[in-house]
Amino acid sequence: MGVGAYFIAEEVAPDVDPFVTVNNILILWIIADMLLRYFLQQLPVINVKPLMTLPVSRKRVIRFVMLKSVTSFFNILPLLLFIPFTIVLVFHDYNPIQTLVWFVGILSLSLSINFTNFLINKNNTYFYSLLSVVVISFALKYFGVFDLGFFAGLCFNALFDKPYLIFIPLTLVYMLYRANIKLLHDGFYLDDMVTQKVTLAQETDFSWLKRFGSLAPFLENDIKLISRNVRPRQVLFIAAVFLFYGLFFYTQDTYKDVPVILAFAAIFITGGFLLTFGQQVPSWDSQYYKLLMSQNIPYRQYLKAKWMLMVFGVLVSFVLSTPYIYFGWDIYAMIAAGAVFNIGLNSFVTLIGGALNRTPIVLNEKAKAFANTSGFNPTQLLIGLPKVFLPMILFYIPYKLINFEAGLISIAIGGFIGLAFRSYFLSLIEKIYLKGKYKTIAAFEQEP
Amino acid sequence: MQPLSKNLKNSIMITVNNLSKSYNNIEVLNIAELAIPKGQSFGLVGNNGAGKTTFFSLLLDLIRPTNGYITSNGVRVDASEDWKPFTSAFLDESFLIGYLTPEEYFYFIGKLRGQNKSDVNAFISQYEGFFNDEILGKRKFLRDLSKGNQKKVGLIGALIGAPEIVILDEPFANLDPTTQIRLKQLIKSETENTHTTFLISSHDLLHVTEVSERIVVLEKGQVIKDLHTNPETLKELESYFSEALDVN
Repeated sequence: MGVGAYFIAEEVAPDVDPFVTVNNILILWIIADMLLRYFLQQLPVINVKPLMTLPVSRKRVIRFVMLKSVTSFFNILPLLLFIPFTIVLVFHDYNPIQTLVWFVGILSLSLSINFTNFLINKNNTYFYSLLSVVVISFALKYFGVFDLGFFAGLCFNALFDKPYLIFIPLTLVYMLYRANIKLLHDGFYLDDMVTQKVTLAQETDFSWLKRFGSLAPFLENDIKLISRNVRPRQVLFIAAVFLFYGLFFYTQDTYKDVPVILAFAAIFITGGFLLTFGQQVPSWDSQYYKLLMSQNIPYRQYLKAKWMLMVFGVLVSFVLSTPYIYFGWDIYAMIAAGAVFNIGLNSFVTLIGGALNRTPIVLNEKAKAFANTSGFNPTQLLIGLPKVFLPMILFYIPYKLINFEAGLISIAIGGFIGLAFRSYFLSLIEKIYLKGKYKTIAAFEQEP
Repeated sequence: MQPLSKNLKNSIMITVNNLSKSYNNIEVLNIAELAIPKGQSFGLVGNNGAGKTTFFSLLLDLIRPTNGYITSNGVRVDASEDWKPFTSAFLDESFLIGYLTPEEYFYFIGKLRGQNKSDVNAFISQYEGFFNDEILGKRKFLRDLSKGNQKKVGLIGALIGAPEIVILDEPFANLDPTTQIRLKQLIKSETENTHTTFLISSHDLLHVTEVSERIVVLEKGQVIKDLHTNPETLKELESYFSEALDVN
């Protein structure tokens, strides 16, 4: 990709120096880097605890922790991107020394983000200010007031033209490094840094859940599970992102004539929560699975409660997707058909996939970057296929043979058939749970 | 004269039949025969790796027996789930739900055992002394409590809804001395006043002999001793475990 960047830039804007083009969009990389690190990078502070009692001087421990953080994946990534790009530049007769200086500058910026990230300690204010900067600069660019990307591009070009400017990023990274060292040094006590902030429970009235009868205690627990733990909240975030998935497709004229692609998008718009939450059932309960397995809990009730929650997720997403009416009632009808399909069939298919997924989850920790690949296996992929392709097929055949509406009705009928077989599906999933009981318990006992 | 409740303890609650458990062909537990009568307080002692937790896990059907089976009140635990309504356990912190407050946890367990909120409130109010003002009404999540306080919640949670069998793994570990004494009183009064069968494992010979009517010593998965507790039992156990020292 690093190699390709040069040629793509040349292709896109043949009149402009490709290097300048890249510099102009470099701000996007910086923002992406910030967001990625904010969400995914682990703080090094956590690693201090086991080292505290070792007979090593405090200074060395801190320096070790800081340097170790530099080797994180997020710092390797820019190397992977920019080393090839730099080499391409040199081969295209850019001044090697100036190019190298530019490369060091970009790297320093990335490292600065690395250290800033630790300083702000996943502070929400930082995230929202970052978000507003992005939104505002987009708005300013749109109204032609100020183009942040172009301005940043000027800075990066300047760095190349006047190599002595390298002192700015270098100083920045050094100062941030010192600030981190100081922070760690001052906070080198268990009670300051490592012990977590204790949040208190909010009193919430769940009596409205009573109408669900024997499912109520499980639903109440699941709502608490989602609202009080970091990992499940991330799922909510992803579900919200899925809501916007349709914008990719409905705004492009290319897809207007291939409505089967639109059917694909419709499934995702209302299915974000269902798919992401559902594929981790029962992993969400892995930390206390032994309790659930030895308590008086029928599998069916447990599963029904999870299913209700997923249905609820689809309904909420569907209500939130109302603005898609803007793209036409056809689109909205398709989203509705997709919602029915999600409720009736995808919910069960997802639960089957989840039952085979035995990866434990630490609820109150952010997902480690790329750590959830272990939760991915071929069986799950195979089970996942019908979730997307079945509605496409269900749509495509009647659409070709009859018309658009027939396609929609076909998708919805698929959902209703699933609902009719609800009890069959639940029994099937129950059997998978029973069959894998010991395996699941043993797997959930492993450290994730 | 024996108290009335003791006379009712004739029927057998738990029977073990040729039970064994192996991991990769290494046997970790082998109990040919064991019967625990209803209402008995049964103590299980043994060094690390003796098979105490394995036995309890088999009793709760958390692991699959390699051979043999356990019946609990006539129900084969690995073949039916009908033992669940009358059984409760606290083996380790995986029996707690970290994101609930102690009260919410008790209500949840209560609901699973057919107790409504006011039943549970009445029940836990008996244990205010046991909780020592550190647990109830603090709105703290279980994950934020200290190990000792977590244990207290788990222990009391296991008693909700008058279960007939209560299984506690190392209940005295991590508790402060006052709470240990309170817990002993609690178990003693429960066994005297109810027909609850208690199964307790412990490394603490003194505590376990105090609360158990019967002590079984496990070593490398085998039952080595099966004693009815009397004033000499503690000495006998101590000398048994120090012999192990001499042999080594």
